Amino acid sequence: MSMRVALACVLIGFVVFMSTGCQRGIVIEEGDEKAKGTEAVEGKAREEGKMADEKERIEASLQTKRYPGIEGEVLESSMLKDIHFAFDRYDLSPEARGALARNADFILKFPEAKIQIEGHCDERGTNEYNLALGDRRAMSAKNYLLSLGVPVTRLSTISYGEELPLDPRHNEEAWAKNRRGHFVILSR
Amino acid sequence: MKRTFLAFILTSMLLLPNLGVARVYIDIGSPTFRPFPIAITGFKDLSPVSGDIAKSIHAILLNDLTISGLFEIVEQEDFPQWQFKQRLSDEECQEWLESGAEALAWGTVLQEGSRINVHFWFLDLIERNLTTGRYSGEVGRFREIVHRIGNEIIRQVTGQKGVLDTQIAYVSKYTGNKEIHSINFDGHNAVQITSNRSINLSPAWSPDNRIIAYTCFRRRNPDLYFADLSNKTHRLFLGAAGLNAAPAWSPDSKRLALMMRRGGSSEIFLINRDGSNLAQLTHTSYNEASPTWSPDGRRLAFVSDRTGSPQIYVMDLASKRTVRLTYNGSYNASPDWSPRGDRIAYCGRLERRFDIFTIKIDGSENLMLTSEAGGNEDPVWSPDGRYIVFSSTRSGNPHLFIMNANGTNPRRLTRNEGGETQPSWSPRTDSE
Repeated sequence: MSMRVALACVLIGFVVFMSTGCQRGIVIEEGDEKAKGTEAVEGKAREEGKMADEKERIEASLQTKRYPGIEGEVLESSMLKDIHFAFDRYDLSPEARGALARNADFILKFPEAKIQIEGHCDERGTNEYNLALGDRRAMSAKNYLLSLGVPVTRLSTISYGEELPLDPRHNEEAWAKNRRGHFVILSR
Repeated sequence: MKRTFLAFILTSMLLLPNLGVARVYIDIGSPTFRPFPIAITGFKDLSPVSGDIAKSIHAILLNDLTISGLFEIVEQEDFPQWQFKQRLSDEECQEWLESGAEALAWGTVLQEGSRINVHFWFLDLIERNLTTGRYSGEVGRFREIVHRIGNEIIRQVTGQKGVLDTQIAYVSKYTGNKEIHSINFDGHNAVQITSNRSINLSPAWSPDNRIIAYTCFRRRNPDLYFADLSNKTHRLFLGAAGLNAAPAWSPDSKRLALMMRRGGSSEIFLINRDGSNLAQLTHTSYNEASPTWSPDGRRLAFVSDRTGSPQIYVMDLASKRTVRLTYNGSYNASPDWSPRGDRIAYCGRLERRFDIFTIKIDGSENLMLTSEAGGNEDPVWSPDGRYIVFSSTRSGNPHLFIMNANGTNPRRLTRNEGGETQPSWSPRTDSE
């Protein structure tokens, strides 16, 4: 119940932000030819329609998730994509950068949300070194998101090392899935 | 956990009172090691009410001496005539020697209310050196008395007490999630230490036997907790955002080395047991992990990936001078400094599989202790330096095994199905 109320509040906040955000965007263009005025108004209506759609899409993408033995719950969005890493590496591949750019778009459109970046490893190697490696992976993702303009106050990181594999099997395919950066919404 | 309740008296060395140990035998790690042939004739029950305890004591002692790897047990069918006595004649000693035994042990058990008294004799048949000891304790904890008798027999043979009284803490997925458990050296007395249903990692048993430090995720952060072994309480010790992991107690139990995040990477830190004096030891932009102390407390070994892959380094704490220890292979981690000080055990990856190695502190004599038997990780020395416990996937899920420090005689320690990893060895409770 309280979750729903919170959800509603956040939704309202989201709509307010989106509309003010759009107005600001137009204000910047005010110095241009007056002829653009009507276009801008039409554009604004179109934008607002798009924003409403976007908002709905974001809401539809959210799902609450609890981790066994960890306090609280988080939201996951199917629009926040995992990124993947090579064995014992934490540098970002071009695919990972692409996914992070799309994740940054999402995060910037969802301005109240606090995002946690989880670093995960495959089961090979020691649990302790993998904790450090997972931390490093999460930090790589965080630093790239910062470079894309995501405010630092909205991002936190955690390493789960090899403790929460997505795929429990012991083969290359599973390991590739498990070496990941995962994104959850801590609060909004 | 502390065994103060167990009042014990080790009484006189009857025949050669001041020598203690008459012979120095070749120890388990030596290539010329030969198990010591011993016969245990049994424990005479002096109180009819004690039921099967005398037989149990005999069986547990036989098992203790067998798993120590130091003895060859002479089979009962090879025994000469035996009747309980306080000492043996020369002719009787000769008869036992002919049976193949070089030492003989026997004892008595007396139950008085809720306590038992165990009296044992150990006779070195070659030196004709007789030792006797008397232990008493609660009936319900008679196994601990047997372990102490076993430790004393080991001392008679090697000059150093055994570790039969020690326990090993570890991470078990037995309940479906990773909790800290402990188990005795003989694989009995498994105890669950955490029950928070979270992710619990890296137990570190303090050398003073009072605390197990471990990392737990319950606050959605890898935080460091202390489990107090005397009152079974748990408390948050360190909860900095990022990492509070891989704790390692200094030999005097006053400080911890651990890994924490600083400046975007994991670094080695020191902190006092009371939470004061947090100090950063490494300053790199790479990952440092898994510290372990030298027994004199002056150096630390740890993992660093500063050359691009995890390798083991040794740092002198006074000068901060750091030397790379391992060069063999592209993944060496999980160092554990031997209590004798001369070697570091670690796990290394060769040909896509992890195995256990030990290496001298100067980087020489790198020995591979496991091979062709699954993946092997997390090596930890016993407090006497005779054994190494490690986790191995040789029988499927990871389980703990104990082997001699030279890699011989591995035996499975834990029998659960969930999988066990990350052992930490308790100190001895049995004083020298």
